[in-house]
Amino acid sequence: MKNKLFFLLAFLAFGFASCEKESESKEPGTIDINFDNVAIVNGTQTQLSMATAGSTTYTYTNGMSQTFNVTLLRYFISAIELTGPNGEYFKDEVSVSAAGSKGYYLIDESKSASQYVTLNDVPAGEYNKLTFTVGVDSTGVVDGAAGGMLDPATNKMFWNWNSGYIAVKFEGQSPVSNSGITGSESLAAGAANGIVYHVGGWKNQPGTAFVYNNKRLSFTFDTNVKVDKDRNPEVHMVFDMLKLFKGTKTIDFTGNHNVHKPADGVDVANNIPAAFAFDHAFKGITNEKKLDHLRGVFFCFSCLHKGRCGNQHLPV
Amino acid sequence: MLFNDPLLSRDQSVACSNCHAKGTAFTDPQHALSLGVNERQGTRNAPSIANMAFMKEFMWDGGVIHLDFAPPNAIENPLEMDETLEAVLRKLNRHGSYPGLFKKAFPELDTITTPYLLYALSQYQAMLVSASSAYDQYQLGKGSLTEEERQGLDLFKAKCATCHSGALFTNQDYANNGLDTVFPDLGRARITESDADLGKFKVPSLRNVALTAPYMHDGRFKTLENVLDHYAAGVKSSPTLARELSGGKGQLGIPLTSQEKRQLIAFLKTLTDYAFLLDPRF
Ligand code: HEC
Ligand code: HEC
Repeated sequence: MKNKLFFLLAFLAFGFASCEKESESKEPGTIDINFDNVAIVNGTQTQLSMATAGSTTYTYTNGMSQTFNVTLLRYFISAIELTGPNGEYFKDEVSVSAAGSKGYYLIDESKSASQYVTLNDVPAGEYNKLTFTVGVDSTGVVDGAAGGMLDPATNKMFWNWNSGYIAVKFEGQSPVSNSGITGSESLAAGAANGIVYHVGGWKNQPGTAFVYNNKRLSFTFDTNVKVDKDRNPEVHMVFDMLKLFKGTKTIDFTGNHNVHKPADGVDVANNIPAAFAFDHAFKGITNEKKLDHLRGVFFCFSCLHKGRCGNQHLPV
Repeated sequence: MLFNDPLLSRDQSVACSNCHAKGTAFTDPQHALSLGVNERQGTRNAPSIANMAFMKEFMWDGGVIHLDFAPPNAIENPLEMDETLEAVLRKLNRHGSYPGLFKKAFPELDTITTPYLLYALSQYQAMLVSASSAYDQYQLGKGSLTEEERQGLDLFKAKCATCHSGALFTNQDYANNGLDTVFPDLGRARITESDADLGKFKVPSLRNVALTAPYMHDGRFKTLENVLDHYAAGVKSSPTLARELSGGKGQLGIPLTSQEKRQLIAFLKTLTDYAFLLDPRF
C-alpha cells in the first residue's frame, strides 16, 4: 500500500516536473495568426457559409433586416506587429519586389490555408498585443508592379484605372438589391440581386475622392503568449462578416450597393475595425515537448489552463 | 517584341503598337478614339508614350500612378485588348520563345509572372526617350533655328509655357483648356470626384507634336492649326477653365494673329525628333 502511494507521488512529481520544465529558450520562434471568418448571430459565432452565384438562399440579415448571402470574401492584412508586456517587439517587415512581396497576406474565405499567417523569427518572449493594417498602404503601390501576394493577376485585388489595392472585397446577393452591378468576380455583370463592396483607398486628399480607407487595428490578448524556439503559439482572431454592414454605419443594400472606388466605400470601411476581434490564444508547444507533456498531463493540474493544454487541443 | 505582339489581346488582333505606333511617336495616327478588339471604339485618344520614364502620373486623368500599372489598363479593358493578365501569362508561358527571353533578362525566373511582364513592358517604354529634336540641338548650341521658329519659341514661352513647361513641355498637372462647357468625360474629376477638377486633363507633352495628330483627349482636332484656332478663338467658359485662358475683360483664350500662329507651328515642328523616330532599336 505504502509502496503504491509512494509510486503515485513519484509519478505526480514527475508529472509536475515535466510540466514545470517549461524551458526558457532565448531563441526566436514562430507564431501563427488564424483569421477566422465568421458570422455572429445573436451572440453565437457560426462559421461563414458561402453561397454560389444565382442562389436565392439568403442566410444572413443586415442591420436593416435585409437578407443576403455571401459569394466572395477576401481581404489584405499587412504590416503586422507584436508587442509584449516587457518591451518585447516584433515587426513583420513589408517589402515589395517582383520575386515576391513580403508582409502582405491575402485572407480568402474560399482558401483555408490563406487564413493562417505564420510569422517566423519572432524574438523569444511574451506577447500580448497584435497590430496590423487591413489593406495595402503606399509602400505596396508606389514602386509599381510587384509579385507574390501583390500580383494583380492572382490576387484580383487591384484597381487598374485608379491605381491601388482593394482592402476588403465582398460580393454577395440580396433580394432588395437594385441590380446593375459591375466588375464583380463571383457574379455576372448586371446580376439581378448582386451586391458588390470593393473597399479600399491608400491616400488621403481632403476634398477629393482620394480617401484613406485602410485601417490600422490593435488587439490586446487576455493572456500573455510565450514564444521561443520550442513554443509555437497560435493567436485566433475572428472576423465577423455581419459587422461590415451593421457597425457604426448601417449599410442599405438598396442604395450604394455597387462600390468600386474609395469615396463610395467609406461607410463599409468604417465598419471594418469592429468586425475584427481577438478570440483566444493557444500556448504553443513543439512536438518533442508535446510527448513530455502528454506524459505529465495526466496528473498535471497546473497545465489546466482554461480547459486547454497547448495549441494542439489536447483532451485534458 | 511584346509591345508589338498581338498575343497580349484576347483574339490576338491588337498589339500595344496598334494604338501607340512608332512612326507617329507612339500614338494612334488614324483614330481620334482608339479602336480595340472587334473594332470596338474606346473613349479617348491614345497619347504618345515617349518620355514616359519622366512622368509622374499616367493617362489623361492621371488615375495611374506608376508606368508598370499602365498596360493592365489596356490589356484588361474590354474596349482595348479585352484580355486578362492571367490569360496573357498563360499564353506567354506556353509560347515558343518568350520563356527563354524572359529567363535571359531575369535569370531568377522560372515562370513569367505579372510583375516581370510589366517590368519588361516598362523597360521597353522607358527606353523611348525623345530628346534630340532640332529644338534640343538648338538648346545645346549644336544647331540653329530659323527666324520664324525662334519667334515661335518666344511666343510659346510667353503664352503657353505655364502649362507646357520645362524640357518635357508639360508641368504634369491637370488643366481645363476650354474645350467644353459640359463634360461627358469628367477628366481628372473621374479620379478625384472633385468639382474643382471637372474637365481637367493632364497637360500633354508636346514633344513630336507635329506627328501626334489628332489632338486632345478625344482627338477632336485634326491639325495644329485647329488647335491654335481653338486657343485663339474657341475657348469656352466654365467654372474650372484655366486662369491663363480666362483672359481679362470678358475675353477668353490666347489672342493670336495668323502670323503668330504660323510662327508657333513652325516652332512646334522643331520638337519632332527624327533620330528617335528612326531609332532601329524600337
Ligand atoms: C486600343 C488602343 C490601345 C492599345 C492596344 C494600347 N493602348 Fe495604351 N493607351 C490608349 C489610350 C486611349 C490611352 C489613354 C487612356 C486614358 O487616358 O484613359 C493610353 C494610354 C497609355 C499610357 C499612358 C500614357 C500617358 O501619357 O499617360 C501608356 C504608358 C500606355 N498606354 C501603354 C500601353 C501599352 C504598354 C500597351 C500594350 C500592353 C498599350 N498601351 C496598348 C490606347 C491603347
Ligand atoms: C492652362 C494650361 C494650358 C495652356 C496655357 C496651354 N495649353 Fe495646350 N493643352 C493643355 C491641356 C490641359 C491640354 C489637353 C486638353 C485635353 O486633351 O482635353 C492641351 C493640349 C494641347 C495640344 C494637343 C496635344 C495632343 O497631343 O493632343 C497642343 C498642340 C497644345 N495644347 C498646344 C498649346 C499651345 C501652342 C499653347 C499656347 C498657345 C497652349 N497649348 C497653351 C493646357 C494648356
